[in-house]
Amino acid sequence: MSGNDPARRRVAVAGRHGEQMEVRDLKALLVLMRDYGLVELEIEDKKGKVRLVRGSADHAEAGSEARVAGRAASPIKMAIRHVEATEEEGTKAAGRVELAPNQKLIESPMVGTFYRAASPDAVPFVEEGSSVRKGQPLCIIEAMKMMNEIESPAAGRVIRIIAENGNPIEYGQPLMILEVI
Amino acid sequence: MFKKLLVANRGTIAIRIIRACRELGISTVAVYSTADKNALHVRMADESVCIGPPAAEDSYLNIPAILSAATTFGADAVHPGYGFLSENGDFAEACQRSGLNFVGPRARHIRLMGDKPRARRIMKRAGVPVLPGSEGTGVTELREAQADAKRLGYPVLIKAAAGGGGKGMRIARDGAELTRLFPLAQGEAEASFNSRKMYLEKYLEPARHVEFQILADLQRNAIHLGERDCSIQRRHQKVIEESPCPILTSRMREKMGKAAVRAAEVVGYSNVGTVEFLLAGSDEFYFIEMNTRIQVEHGVTEMVTGVDLVKESIRMAMGERLGLKQRQVKFDGVSMEFRIYAEDPERHVPSPGVVTNHHPPGGLGVRVETALYDGYRVPVHYDPLIAKLIVHAGTRAEVIARAKAALREYVIDGIKTNIPLHLKILHDPDFNRGEFTTDFLSRYEAAQPEAAPHAPVSKAS
Repeated sequence: MSGNDPARRRVAVAGRHGEQMEVRDLKALLVLMRDYGLVELEIEDKKGKVRLVRGSADHAEAGSEARVAGRAASPIKMAIRHVEATEEEGTKAAGRVELAPNQKLIESPMVGTFYRAASPDAVPFVEEGSSVRKGQPLCIIEAMKMMNEIESPAAGRVIRIIAENGNPIEYGQPLMILEVI
Repeated sequence: MFKKLLVANRGTIAIRIIRACRELGISTVAVYSTADKNALHVRMADESVCIGPPAAEDSYLNIPAILSAATTFGADAVHPGYGFLSENGDFAEACQRSGLNFVGPRARHIRLMGDKPRARRIMKRAGVPVLPGSEGTGVTELREAQADAKRLGYPVLIKAAAGGGGKGMRIARDGAELTRLFPLAQGEAEASFNSRKMYLEKYLEPARHVEFQILADLQRNAIHLGERDCSIQRRHQKVIEESPCPILTSRMREKMGKAAVRAAEVVGYSNVGTVEFLLAGSDEFYFIEMNTRIQVEHGVTEMVTGVDLVKESIRMAMGERLGLKQRQVKFDGVSMEFRIYAEDPERHVPSPGVVTNHHPPGGLGVRVETALYDGYRVPVHYDPLIAKLIVHAGTRAEVIARAKAALREYVIDGIKTNIPLHLKILHDPDFNRGEFTTDFLSRYEAAQPEAAPHAPVSKAS
């Protein structure tokens, strides 16, 4: 619940973008960091942005604090810097989901609670692998005791259910991935 | 005691509320639009929930989304801040219906004071002086307005019955202007408040805008915390506020303060509120309206009284009693607030963008309330108020000197702000003498060619 926890999670998110880079590129950067005694390195090019931190997590925090110490460093500021790194990529509130060209992300149109079935003892609307028609209910978002059915925007197959049954959901949060036929 | 409070706002006031909750040991839920996902209030709160797309109607004004966020994330109280839903009686009522404590007055008080002609009637009956104006419930037809104007004598102020924030407000200096401006003001009122109901007031000039801070508990105890002079305005938007009013005598403070407390008591008001008056000359005052929420400029009152108004608003909403009696309220020194807007100081147009370097001033008696940080992108979707510089010192001259130093120290690179305008005002002899009325800025800017709207950029300033 502390303000720093989301920050750390987002550091990990920022790191994942690095996967798009070639491993040998990363190796070259790590050698560069070692040779010049760098603790932290952030590089942006056409492929994206990568931030590398050497040593333990604590060490990394201390290192970055020291780097900006002269300019009003604070935990909040650090958190923002990390988020900033992921912002340009068009990430939604709850993180980024990789999609193939024939896949559609089903996002929550409202804030509420995610349910996979119409009632606790009912069968879920869909499972991973289910084929769906356009307009078929996929799940329910309960907001203010109102059950809002989320319909499939296209005919296809549910290939992944991202949200957990019964969990709170934000506006724009990814719920499922649909493979469009 | 509240356990978890949802902050139904953004920007400086959201941060102010989160800080107050931290002190009180209440955990916080921030709500935000997709345009605000990197906003400071989202980072500072214990939890945060995205409630909708950038347009305010779909996010910060979206009552079902906010209530859903509050109930889904287990909040037991909602603080509306200022602007957005803060003076929406339906929202206050919907919160209570959903089992959420609304930090503010009761829904019926918000509705009563939001109906300006009705508030005027009640104040008049309670013996609070009101400006001569439209009687009854207001006017909707031009001929009714013309009849009222004839009775009142020009100039008159055309106002929206459901108004606020300068929307649907126009000055008419003769019959021709009334005929031209009434439909315009009415159109604005309809667009902003979904109501064509208008009313007229005798337009008093020159006059000062002097408002009194009210604090009232649910046990019907009410006190005032002195006044704020908010006469430095542009188009009915406040720019600089100060407490105390530089020309108010202690006799007048007592008289106006009593009227303000009576205004609150007569309706059984609770929580924080502000009673606005026009002060003509040094001893003639009239009720304009009551704002049923925390004000942007609450900080200057906090500096001179030492009372934390946001904490008090939460305490009052929890049903706690006022800890202070009127005679225990002590005023210490002078405080001024400078509203920092992301705007071009010469053309008065918003200047959104990325803040590339941010250094707020500091030191004794210097307080900055801001949602800015290095690298923050000021979004285009919302109010351009990005910071409030609040200065406190023993005397008015000291405050002015301290404010000049602080404003010069303030670094906000990457976007344009109105800091240069504040510095110019601080050097104005009339301002330094405390001699100004609500027309100060329009007269001042008319006299300064380089500060006039649409001035060529090449002109030396």
